[in-house]
Amino acid sequence: MRRWTAALLIGPAVLFLVGGFVGPLTLALGESLRGGIGPYVRIFGDSYYLEVIAATLALSGTVTLAALAVGYPYALILARAQGWAKTVLLFLLVAPLLVNVVVRSFGWMVIFGRSGLVNAALDLVGLPKLDLLNSWTAIGIALVHVLLPFMVLSIAATLEDLDPALEEAAATLGARPLRRFIHIVAPLSLHGAVTGAILVFALCMGSFVTVMMMGDNRTMVLPLLVYQQLSVAGDGVFAAALGMVLLATVLAVFWLQARAVRTLTP
Amino acid sequence: MIRRLYMTLAGAFLLAPLIVVGVVAFTSASFVSFPPPGYSLRWLTRVLADPSFMRPLANSILLGLAAACAAAILAVPAALALARRQMRHAAEIESFLLSPLSLPALILSIALLFYLSRLGLGSGFAGLFVGHTVVVLPYMLRTVLAVARGVDPALEEAAHTLGADPWRSFIHVTLPTLRPGIVAGALFAFLVSFDEVAVALLMSSVGSMTLPVAILNHVAHNYDPAIAAISLIKIVLVIAVLLALELFFGLDRLMLSRARR
Repeated sequence: MRRWTAALLIGPAVLFLVGGFVGPLTLALGESLRGGIGPYVRIFGDSYYLEVIAATLALSGTVTLAALAVGYPYALILARAQGWAKTVLLFLLVAPLLVNVVVRSFGWMVIFGRSGLVNAALDLVGLPKLDLLNSWTAIGIALVHVLLPFMVLSIAATLEDLDPALEEAAATLGARPLRRFIHIVAPLSLHGAVTGAILVFALCMGSFVTVMMMGDNRTMVLPLLVYQQLSVAGDGVFAAALGMVLLATVLAVFWLQARAVRTLTP
Repeated sequence: MIRRLYMTLAGAFLLAPLIVVGVVAFTSASFVSFPPPGYSLRWLTRVLADPSFMRPLANSILLGLAAACAAAILAVPAALALARRQMRHAAEIESFLLSPLSLPALILSIALLFYLSRLGLGSGFAGLFVGHTVVVLPYMLRTVLAVARGVDPALEEAAHTLGADPWRSFIHVTLPTLRPGIVAGALFAFLVSFDEVAVALLMSSVGSMTLPVAILNHVAHNYDPAIAAISLIKIVLVIAVLLALELFFGLDRLMLSRARR
């Protein structure tokens, strides 16, 4: 009777996801293979597609490392802040999340544009104007901005659980701040950093709106290519195949990082 | 000292694009530049009177409400089952229900496009509704589950001992204790749907276009301050929803403590 009730409660959600999530994904995989493995041969046999895949991985890797470098100190300060300061820090971090990625990318377009903030500042000090839009740098900075909150929140969650007594004990035993950080704080927050990195990397692999708005033909990434194949070229089968390659790449990264977590954490 | 410098830079980095958008919305110029040459309300009034922005805004609100309601109907019973009953494979079912979180939404979007056209539903509101419900369901489930796990099962047992049938104890005991989680989850779900671009971009037709897609289309064709103006309106709406939640939760807590007394 009890098991029956549980099934009745959880059934609708499971059925909905089977119908609205697993079903479509299976169908898309089938669709990409409808004419044989041709589309996959085309992807892996063409240096253009391989370069796009490599560029996507490189961009996601760089953005993840940059988000880690910028986000770790933020998480450290956030986890140790108290009361009023903590509220301000959280608000600063979460405010951009509440603003659409289209709007945020537009904001960066205004900052990097020809008559934007950076060029106005350069002009003020007498330096020549720069064409910063349509560059990997601008796209990377905007993506770090979009994804930073996910990194910080993941790391801060593990830092909050850290027992302050551990650090106090180390301090009593004469360890200086840097040693305390290297031997206590860093290893114990590694789990959060890895979680944040996985999340940021996966989200970055799927980000195409920012790249679409801020880049041009020279800055192509895999998800944008998928979107263009579908909406511009109208080649559904090839778009599905590219989408499956993207999915496989993301899943491979998850798997690799799950293994890394298992070996890193005792 | 280093900490203060770092925080100033990080804060500036986080807020810079938002401030820039907010300022450009009030420009008097007909082009986008920062800092603007002068200030006026012309772009804000123009956008508020423009149906090509206002209709997508209405669509977005409707879609967000529909997806949040559907997600609540599916996720609340599921969360109860996962939190209470000793179910076999509970961990596996939970990670399955949360799995749409880790998939790039674009892939889901393409898959849904094939699937719904096969089913004859096509794009339009139905496709958007299904897609957004899949996307927001994990957020809803996670929030309700967090609250449901913290609820004392003794409450329901007490209701049972006092002779309440399962339905009555659900309505009078379980549902009220879950309410903060359901409200917060639904609000979160609404905000996620209101913000979602990847599914909306592929699924929406001219009639069912959502606001982020309308803004994106506008940027592609004309790079003008109207984008900043509609963005500012969107930011203000999101903040209003959050303030409403804060207010609601404050009131809710007040009422709860009074009931306890």
